[in-house]
Parts: sequence; structure tokens; C-alpha cells
Amino acid sequence: MVDVLSTNITSPLGFTTEQNYQTVRSGSSALKRYEGLWGLPEPFAASLFSEGQRAELAISGYTFFESLAIRSAREALSYIQLDTATSKVVLILSTTKGDIGSYPSDAARAIAKALGVTTTPIVVCNACVSGLSAQLLADRLLSAGFYDHAIVVGAEVQSKFIVAGFQSLKAVSEEPCRPFDIERNGLNPGEAAATIVYTAPSLNPSPEEEGRIHCEESLPPRGEVWRGAAWHLVDGATCNDAYHNVSPSPQGDGCLRAIEAVMEGRDKSLLATVCVHGTATLYNDQMESKAIERAGLSDIPLSALKGYYGHTMGAAGVLETILTMRATDDGIVLPSKGFTEPGVSGMVSISGMPQKTDKRAFLKIMSGFGGCNVAALYAKDPIQIKKSIKGEWSKTKTVRISSEDGESLTDIYKEQITNYPKFYKMDILSRLAFVAAEKALSNSPLKDPSRPPLKGEEFSLPLREGWGGSFILFNHSSSIVSDRQFLSTISDAANFFPSPSVFVYTLPNIAAGEVAIRHHLTGETSFYILPEKDEALMRQILEASLCGTNATTAISGWVDAESETSYECELSTFDVKSE
Amino acid sequence: MEQLINDLKLQIKEALNLEELSMEDFDENAPLFGEGGIGLDSIDVLEIIVLLEKKYGIRLSNPKEGKAIFQSIKTIAEYVQANRKK
Repeated sequence: MVDVLSTNITSPLGFTTEQNYQTVRSGSSALKRYEGLWGLPEPFAASLFSEGQRAELAISGYTFFESLAIRSAREALSYIQLDTATSKVVLILSTTKGDIGSYPSDAARAIAKALGVTTTPIVVCNACVSGLSAQLLADRLLSAGFYDHAIVVGAEVQSKFIVAGFQSLKAVSEEPCRPFDIERNGLNPGEAAATIVYTAPSLNPSPEEEGRIHCEESLPPRGEVWRGAAWHLVDGATCNDAYHNVSPSPQGDGCLRAIEAVMEGRDKSLLATVCVHGTATLYNDQMESKAIERAGLSDIPLSALKGYYGHTMGAAGVLETILTMRATDDGIVLPSKGFTEPGVSGMVSISGMPQKTDKRAFLKIMSGFGGCNVAALYAKDPIQIKKSIKGEWSKTKTVRISSEDGESLTDIYKEQITNYPKFYKMDILSRLAFVAAEKALSNSPLKDPSRPPLKGEEFSLPLREGWGGSFILFNHSSSIVSDRQFLSTISDAANFFPSPSVFVYTLPNIAAGEVAIRHHLTGETSFYILPEKDEALMRQILEASLCGTNATTAISGWVDAESETSYECELSTFDVKSE
Repeated sequence: MEQLINDLKLQIKEALNLEELSMEDFDENAPLFGEGGIGLDSIDVLEIIVLLEKKYGIRLSNPKEGKAIFQSIKTIAEYVQANRKK
């Protein structure tokens, strides 16, 4: 559990949390229809900053993406006294694409420097769930004692790249999106930044000790800005569908398991709302409705917030969490704008009208490409923390593969793996992770003896069904090879044919998704981007992650592809002997 | 028609990286989806839609229209023959 110290939302609807909340309460949406923007042949609706807003937010010497993240973090930090320069403060940046064509960790370093943060920044790149993943990472790193404070910034700037990609997947609506509605026909891209500053509970003074934090007030006293103080991130879980990289499990299996992991043994009636992902694509909303019904949450009012901001991708998990905290403090379940008539088969309570609530906790769920699903529980009152398994972790096996080896990945596949034609559809990063995972898991204690071997016994040992371990990958180059390839399909107007299959691989966590599908890894999958292969930081993140879950096995390591001919991977398996 | 079927097979094999599917085994009447067929998925359909636009000038914006068209290479070829613009 970690405590919220301060928040900010910077979006086309306003540059502070309060401006955003009041604008949303008045029923306004930032969504507009755009035609011909960025030379895109098809129209789309999106939530974009105006030229005037961009000029106002821009900071000289920084890209717009960096400026946006810096503005949001600075605003959140302005309400509190925090010495960002100590070794106990970490910046966690959540984004799906950052600045297209450049390395996300470069932006993270620039942002950290601007904020005075001196530790190495961590970029979370877990597709649409990144904003929640970043908060769970903050919880783990702080709970493990590695840091005292985490500045979690989610940011996304829209571009021809992202919009053309989602259009090639036929996932974008020309009209403002309609989450969970019978008429829904796709998502709207959105841009925003949002920040939550977290602190370890032991460091957070109680209201008696420090007058300026008003924990028990449902509304801030006159003259004080609402910043989210006194909210806790209680618990969270990440589960992979191990089903498909783009289509969610039809029954919402991964989403359900994430919800159950968080809510097991906890009172559902405490929840004011379940703030859903609600992208307004046919598959996402349908899947969520099934997961919610199966989790026994049909009676809890849902709030779907994409009708106000569109899908702000890397920012969404942070932004929607803050907005739900604010609304819950106000005794309101926000209306799901765009919803009028149910268009999902799972039993859910959703409304286009605001509802009153006196509850003081909520659940936030998200699902994304690569099959990942996250559920996180937030509360104003302390809720009992579950015990996690603590024990001694040991490395059981390490596999190294690099472009220097003289044997191509395809050669390894042909000689030692075979019988998995999907291999040829993967980009270089996924092929690398795939081949390394095959080798790492061969003859592993994690194997499932009941599965029939494929060719070559040594490489034919998938994991058991329902594996609840953690699969945690790191790199520096993100998905740069596929990014360049996708750019080449959209850069020439006369030859504009964005490739859907290439676009899918422009998310690095797809590599984790491919391995999850192959080996039925239904536990956590996470992808972090670092400025370099920093063994100490990787170990820290892995240790914190393993303490924060019930995992007893893990696969983790470095998987980086700078080009088709320059790549490096070092993957290890871990086992815990619980005490 | 035979030429078109052959062209489509080559183009689809290349666009979808169907590396392990030999041209001899690529039956134009075999179902493209599900068990016992070529085993394509939803992303593959979207990629074929891009291919049809690129090579034949056919714009298919709603993938739902495609259900009848994307049954087999044969049905795609018939559709292309009737609707091609280049």
C-alpha cells in the first residue's frame, strides 16, 4: 500500500486536476472530429490540445511530449514540499509511444532532470495498461523500501503514427466514442499527461501530526486545492490472457483473474465504482462486461471515462484514477458519457447519468494489447494488506543470445524449435524473446510434463496451465525496429498503406505477449525501458515485483533489438523457496 | 482466373509471412480460418484488406463485409475479379 501525496491532470480540458474535474462534472468533452489532419485520409474523433494550448505548455529546449510531462509533474509537485534530488525519489514514466522514433528513456531522462530527480528514471511500456502498471511499480518499489517517494507520470501525445495504426486495425471511431453502448464503433485517441506523487505510508504524517493534510475531509477546506491526499493505492494485480496479442479473451479471463487477485477476501460492498477501461471498441467493452459479471460486481456502478478524453493511452491509467478519486470524494459516480443503451452481454450497472455514492473505495481496471490486464484497488480508509509470499529467490537458469553469436534467430528456430509458424510473423524483438524463452524454459522445473513434446525434447517444455509467475522484461530500444518499419508504411502519401500487423509490434510488450501465448503464462507480464542495461536497477525492480505478488516463479531479463542485425538477450528463470 | 489465384497466393503468403506453407499445400478452396484450414486470424484479415487496396485498388472499409469474401483464396479471387480497379 502507498499513499497519494499530490496529483495533476493536464489535458485539453484543463491544466489542473480541479479544472479537469469541474469541466467533466459540467458534462463537457474534449472530443472533436478531425478531417484531413496530419494528411490522414480517413476522418477520426480525438481529444487533442489546441495550438494555443500547445504553445502555452511548450517549454523551450524540450519536445512537446517532454514539456507536457514536465508541466504535469511540476504542477503536482507545487502543492507539496519534496526534495526531488535525493536518492530516495524515483520518476516512473508511463507512455505507449513517447516521442515516435526516439528512445523513451531519453525523454524520461530529460523529464527527470527538469524535475531535479537524480535517480535513474523507469519507463513503463505495457500498452494500454501502462498507467496502472506504473502505479503498481511505485507501490512495490516503495513497499520494498528502495525509495520513499515515486513521481508517477503518464503522458501521451497523439500523432499520425498512432492514429493511422489504430485506423489500420479498424479500431477508431469518427464520432465521439460510446463506451459499453449498443452503437459503439471504436475508440478515440486522446492526449494528456497526469501525475500522482506517491509516498510510503510510514513516511506520511497523520492529520494530527500535520495540519495541512486533511485526511478525513471529503472536500478540501476553502482555499485549499484538492490534490488527492489521503487516498491509498491498496493493492493491484496484473494477469495475462495468454490468448491473443490484440483480441482480448472473449470471457475476460485475464481481467477476471486480476480482479479476483485484488478483491479476494475483501468486501465488494465497499466499492463506490469500478472505473472500467471502456475504450468503446466492440471487443474490449464486451470482454470487460463478462469479467465484471463473473467477478460478482454486476451491482457496482461502472464509470467509463473515455467519452470525455478519448483513450489517452499511457496517461489513461493515471488520469482516470485521479478523476475517480476526486469524484468519489465529491460523493459522485461520474456518468459514462456517450452511453445510452447497453451493448454488452455481461450484466453490468452503467449509466449516462451521475449517481450519488457515500462509499470511499473503488476498483480501476484496464486491459491492453499483449494480453495484459490490471486491476487496482484504491481507498480512503486503510484496508488490510494481504500477506505476500516472502522467501529466498534463486536463479535457476540463464540463457544468452546475441547478434554476435553467428547463428540467426531463424536458424535457431529451424534447428531447435519448429512447429510454431507464428514465429515468422513476429518482429525481431518478439523473435528474440520467443527464442530465448524457449531455451530458458527447456528442462525447467516449471515445465508441464503432461504436454506432448514438439520436435527436439530439449525445447519442448511449456509451462503448466494457469501459471501465476511473473514475466518481466527490460530493454533500451523499445520497439524501435518496428517503429521505423511502420513509419515507412505511412510516410509517403502516394503510397500510404499502414500495416496493421507491423503496428501491433510497435508496442514492445507484445514480445512478452507472444511468449505468454506460447507458454500459457497467465501471471504478470511487464515491460520496462531503461537508459541502459542497469543490472542493479533491474534486480531492484524484479525483487520488488516478486515481493509484491504471490508469484513463486519468474522469468526476467534483458531483451533489446536495435536493428535486425544488432540484438541482445539475457533471460533467466527464478524460483522461490517460501518460508 | 488461374493466374489471379496464383498471384493472390504468392501475395498473401508474402504479406502474412506464411513461411512454412508451401505453394503446393496452399489450396485455393481450403478455409482461411479455423481448424483444418490455413489458420489465419483477425490481424491477417486486416493485412489482406491492405493488400487488396495496394495491389487491386479495392477499398473495403468495414471488415464485416469481408466475411463472405474471405472464406478462401477462391472467393477472394472471385471478388477481386469483379471489383478490381487496377
